[in-house]
Amino acid sequence: MSLLETQGITVRFGGNTAVDNVSVGVDEGRITGLIGPNGAGKTTLFNTVTGLQRPAEGRVLLDGVDVTRLPPAKRARRGMARTFQRLELFLSLSVRDNIRVAGDILRANTGSRVDVDKETDRVLERTGLGDIADLDVSDIPTGRARVVEVARALMTSPRVLLLDEPASGQTEQETEAFARMLTGLAEEGLAICLVEHDLPLVMKLCATIHVLDYGAVIASGTPKEIQESPEVIAAYIGTEVTA
Amino acid sequence: MTTFLTFTILGLVLGAVYAIAASGLVLTYNTSGIFNFAHGAQAMLGAFLYWQLAYGWGWPVWLALVVVLGVVGPAMGGLLHALIMKGLRDTADVTKIVVTVAVLLGMVYLSQWIWHPEEARIVEMFFGSNAKVEFSGVVIRVHEIICLVVAAAIAIGLRLLFTRSRVGVVMRGAVDDPDLLRLNGHNPERVAALSWMMGSTLAVLAGILITPIGGGALQANALTLLVIDAFAAAMFGRLRSIPRTFAGAIVLGMTATYVMAYFPSAWTWTSNFRISLPMIILFVVLIVLPQERLRGAAIRTRERYRVPTVRRAAVWGVALVAVVYLLKLLMVETSVSTFALGMTFAIIALSLTVLTGYAGELNLAPLSFGAVATIVVFHFGVVGTGLAARLDVWGVLLAVLVTAVVGGLVALPALRLRGLYLALATLAFGVFLSNMVLRDTTEHTVFGVTFSLFPNGSLIIPPLRIGPLDLRDGDTFLMTATVLFALIGVGLIALRNSGYGRRLAAMKDSPAASAMLGQNLVKLKLSVFMISAAIAGLGSVLMSSAIGSVASENFNVMAGLALLMLTVAAGIGYVSGALFGGLMSGVGFVIIVATFNDLAAANPDLAPVYQAIGSLSVVSTALLGIGVGKSPSGTVHDVVESYRSLRDARPVLVGGAVLEAALYGLTLAGIMDNWWFAILTACLVMMLPVFGRMVMARVAPDEGRPAPHRTPPELVGVDEPYTEELRRELDRELGLSGHDRGPTPGGRRPVRSGAEEGNVHVVA
Repeated sequence: MSLLETQGITVRFGGNTAVDNVSVGVDEGRITGLIGPNGAGKTTLFNTVTGLQRPAEGRVLLDGVDVTRLPPAKRARRGMARTFQRLELFLSLSVRDNIRVAGDILRANTGSRVDVDKETDRVLERTGLGDIADLDVSDIPTGRARVVEVARALMTSPRVLLLDEPASGQTEQETEAFARMLTGLAEEGLAICLVEHDLPLVMKLCATIHVLDYGAVIASGTPKEIQESPEVIAAYIGTEVTA
Repeated sequence: MTTFLTFTILGLVLGAVYAIAASGLVLTYNTSGIFNFAHGAQAMLGAFLYWQLAYGWGWPVWLALVVVLGVVGPAMGGLLHALIMKGLRDTADVTKIVVTVAVLLGMVYLSQWIWHPEEARIVEMFFGSNAKVEFSGVVIRVHEIICLVVAAAIAIGLRLLFTRSRVGVVMRGAVDDPDLLRLNGHNPERVAALSWMMGSTLAVLAGILITPIGGGALQANALTLLVIDAFAAAMFGRLRSIPRTFAGAIVLGMTATYVMAYFPSAWTWTSNFRISLPMIILFVVLIVLPQERLRGAAIRTRERYRVPTVRRAAVWGVALVAVVYLLKLLMVETSVSTFALGMTFAIIALSLTVLTGYAGELNLAPLSFGAVATIVVFHFGVVGTGLAARLDVWGVLLAVLVTAVVGGLVALPALRLRGLYLALATLAFGVFLSNMVLRDTTEHTVFGVTFSLFPNGSLIIPPLRIGPLDLRDGDTFLMTATVLFALIGVGLIALRNSGYGRRLAAMKDSPAASAMLGQNLVKLKLSVFMISAAIAGLGSVLMSSAIGSVASENFNVMAGLALLMLTVAAGIGYVSGALFGGLMSGVGFVIIVATFNDLAAANPDLAPVYQAIGSLSVVSTALLGIGVGKSPSGTVHDVVESYRSLRDARPVLVGGAVLEAALYGLTLAGIMDNWWFAILTACLVMMLPVFGRMVMARVAPDEGRPAPHRTPPELVGVDEPYTEELRRELDRELGLSGHDRGPTPGGRRPVRSGAEEGNVHVVA
């Protein structure tokens, strides 16, 4: 059983089914990829998993516990963390404070005596953001802002990390460093779900990949299986599937 | 049965007028994203103009109607949009709300200037109140039939507009995605202008129709707030649906008339209750409204505040106390007590700094929470009698505590929802308090205890005594209030620099991201609202004791709105903004008006001119608030930014300080009078940065300041030629690299476009 699981999640906007009966899992210590063309329902699925969107049907299980009815904050406290495709940084805070505030929230919630400042420094170093720590977050380029979102999520000591297009806007060097960091995090036991359009990156990092198209899972498997799947090729290149 | 039918029809009529007002509100909100708090004031202004034409100048009714509805209404809406509302894109909700509040206040001040409030003006029903029809014992006046027919016509018209016409569909798109609309060849601004014109005309129409129903007497404040009742109706439709808004309006109108018909008229509070009913209903609707989706940082807003360190804040706090002490030496006794009163307002304004400036939430009725504290302290905090009566510290603490709890209870239903709803809930509370509690002069007996909340319509609040510190003395009062302000101010800055403060900032910037880090938003909002209410309570207790005897007018909703507006105009993110906002709204304008009146009395020849200038300066307060749209971070921010460049021009700073000291010395010695001191000081403060820049330019002419690259990326190659460096920069921005990394699905998914960046909802 996976650490994070969706069972038959369906989301409708009016008459439009954005996510259609999706059951996928994210395992500890591995990076699971979620790919699909624009409008395939990846972000909607993320929103449903994290509680920003209510599903019409289906369940979300975290470590075997049904969290479908829980608000986002409670899911976060159970170990779920995410980044946003459209950056959601705290624009009035510096890079350091964007990360530190996650520790502040954790501390206020649990009453724990975590040394927030020390932990922030550790995360800054780990994510390679030390050089821009004291800049205003609105002054840094998109690629690095994405890393700030990841750092902020890491600050909550999550068990599952959901990344929504974290590499878009990054330079090639930034992407390489980022890939190394993700691999390292997974090796430490973190469950990572990666939505990304940079297919070479996904193929390189992920153990399992799920492909969404029109809200439904059209293929699941290892990178090799996915690359050879006729449905996936059809969805991406757009030819008719002849069964 | 006849009674029932009569009241049902009366209720329908009232509902119909509410519906007209509310639909205008929904219309503008949905096309421009601005919730127009000035809607009621527009209705009021329209009704006054109609009175002026039809009664003041005796024009025929039809002509007056054509002019007011056909010309004035649309023109008012068009002008509002073109001059003010258009500039509000990319500003925070707080800025939008405050600007419309400023328009509201400006219109009320303007109407009171043109139409003296103490003169009686009556607007009669169309065709007179005797023109009526009778159906089996039920009498309906022609005016009432007109209301019903007009409302029905508007309902059908709006329905057709939104579902059948192209303009209507475009209108619905305008608020969701103006950029997309622009790409499709429409002009979102033109659509918004049109909706403002329609909304404004509907407001004016509602104002003209409702005045005779409410008795016919035109009264600016009452009429402005009366149409605020329509807010409750709009809430039924969640500010979106026009049909549901109409249904809500009808329910509202009928409930109000049934209360009047069937509640025993012997109950003194029946009529108060009826007046407050829309507000009570608004609260109920808030409670039952379903939870909304969490929103992200909707837009990259223009508001920016710098947060000082605690050490720096403490230095400024000491400086403030010193400056106030020095100023006090120049003042006569009455001025000292006026100044002290202003300082208590500044403390109340601090409650807005923490709530709005730090947490991004709004309280539109800060003084109403202050009224709660004052009532508590009056009943439980006074020791001694007569001249020996004093407030005791424990009583004040109790008052502050109770206010915090009341604040929490009022805010709680709205906290699940967007900031706008909290703003509306506080406004509802303010109006409710003015109508129900502050008018409650009768005695109640509860559990054998007899009391009255507001005996004789005014409360005598004696000065505070803390141990040996007796605030009866004006000087002591002023210095104590100043020290308190400085302490709370520094405390707030310390709070902002703490983990709690960062959590507030995070919640303000992106509720969704903040929730995803585990923050319980309701809890955090509740705590900050309670802190804010407590500060407002403390300030108001001091304010009441500075005034001595307070009546319901001192806690007027309009006065609270003016305080909020001036604080935002000065800089809601800054403690110094609270100082200036509080001083200005508490005493600044009273002083200015009094000064011009004195001048008028001294020079009878020029009296009209002086009085006009006095009135104009009151109206111009509203312009300060409207100016928030142009510089949303506030005046203090702009001043601080202009002084920032002076840090390197030490001689200029020192020179300025010496000059100011000299001015002070001259004034203290009695060689110069206080007015000259004030005027020259103001000139010095304003001229110093300008002078500094001149000196700087001579010393270091533009050296070491390379012009930063300013061409936006999408215009590179258009506005300036491609260079290798620019190409690299573009590649970096777009996340591309030098060599090809193979096909990515980017083919289907373009890079973040400007349109996407402009309009971000978390939920895609």
